[in-house]
Amino acid sequence: MDAIQTNQADSDLMTLLDKMAKQDEAALKALYDMTSSKLFGLALRVVNKREWAEDVLQEAYMHIWRAAVDYRASLSPPMAWMGLIVRSRALDFLRRRASERMHLTQELDEYLSDTIEGDTPNPMNTALASEQAWALQQCMNQLDNKQREVVSLAYLRDLSHSDLAEQLKLPLGTVKTWIRRGLEQLRGCMARFA
Amino acid sequence: MNLSKHPQTLDRLAANYALGTLRGGARRRFETISRDNATVRAAALVWQGRLSGMTELQSPILPAPAVWTRIQNMVQAERDAVAMQLARQSGQAKYDGAASWLSSIWQGLWVWRGAAAAGALATVLAVVTGFSLRDQLDIRGKQVDELSAQLKIAPKIEYVAVLVDAKSAETMLVTFDAKSQNLVLQRVGDYKEASDKSLQLWALPNSGGPRSLGVLGGDKVLRLATAEGDVKQVPTLAISLEPKGGVPSAGGPTGPVLFKGALIQKVI
Repeated sequence: MDAIQTNQADSDLMTLLDKMAKQDEAALKALYDMTSSKLFGLALRVVNKREWAEDVLQEAYMHIWRAAVDYRASLSPPMAWMGLIVRSRALDFLRRRASERMHLTQELDEYLSDTIEGDTPNPMNTALASEQAWALQQCMNQLDNKQREVVSLAYLRDLSHSDLAEQLKLPLGTVKTWIRRGLEQLRGCMARFA
Repeated sequence: MNLSKHPQTLDRLAANYALGTLRGGARRRFETISRDNATVRAAALVWQGRLSGMTELQSPILPAPAVWTRIQNMVQAERDAVAMQLARQSGQAKYDGAASWLSSIWQGLWVWRGAAAAGALATVLAVVTGFSLRDQLDIRGKQVDELSAQLKIAPKIEYVAVLVDAKSAETMLVTFDAKSQNLVLQRVGDYKEASDKSLQLWALPNSGGPRSLGVLGGDKVLRLATAEGDVKQVPTLAISLEPKGGVPSAGGPTGPVLFKGALIQKVI
């Protein structure tokens, strides 16, 4: 059932992107209505502050609007393509913020600091997800909660082991071990989907 | 070690590379090998594709409705800009030279030039020196000579306006340089519009409605290409607060007028 729903959502989104490539503003509105909650959730996960995530979301949709004409050439599922745009806008936003206000990096770190709740499962959400993301979700859900959390944060925020240790207030060795074990398990699991 | 002959190691490195946890020298070495070796490059691309799914797996959260309004405003501003550009091009084709003054207004509206801060500041200093700070010049001794020298080489300033807010506090110094056909705006107060708003400069002629002269960016000093004909018969300039990107000239200001001032032709 899920694969069929996924295909339907993908083809709806691709139709909208094609229309946007021809400057159809109604298609932009329809795409926004379908995807903005999902992409806002992503932006918020990266920058961790509503106000910033809203700026990121605005920039991302302007980028999607202007780049819709290039979408087909990317060969990616539509949500993956848009997700990468949001992630890269969000990372740019954080970099800009960090370089503009060096003296406020403390503040930035505080906003980004998270605690890993080892006992609260944070299952990955598959609304609108492409087939490729379904496979990742299957494998990520096999990791234990802490490993899943550090692996997804490392990716989404483009963080090194030591950045992660700082933001999560965990010993560096612990972070390294969780990432290594999480990634080993992910490799084994993803190989089955190849 | 030839990575393509060690699939396990290659897969591990590629996964770490795509995750972003492979850093520093190891990352650069991996990138160098990838450029030469298609097998290594393919492994990295596979993992980048797999992990990109992570962006699709976050829980949905509803953004504030204002975000869509902001996007809509920006899209509309872009569309208007394109329409203006087309009008400018067809205008030039039809009327050629006769319409060139008009086209420079269009350009002024939509083509921003980077503020040449040093030059613009020199201009502003020279103007201030020549007018409102005239009295203090005597006291400043040596500065007088320097600034007078600057005044000689400075642009030909023909019009000046100081825009003030409701409390008569100065917020914007506007000068028109006839030589370069530039309107130069300098923010002098500490007013800062919200990030979803833009300030828009209007000419208020004696007859006819307000005409937009351009939309201000966040810079302290701005130069705006403007034909002299566009400021010549204009007694007053005003700045209104508009949605991000400004509004079309034809409809006039839609937001409150924040700053206003008389445009004075320089006679000395």
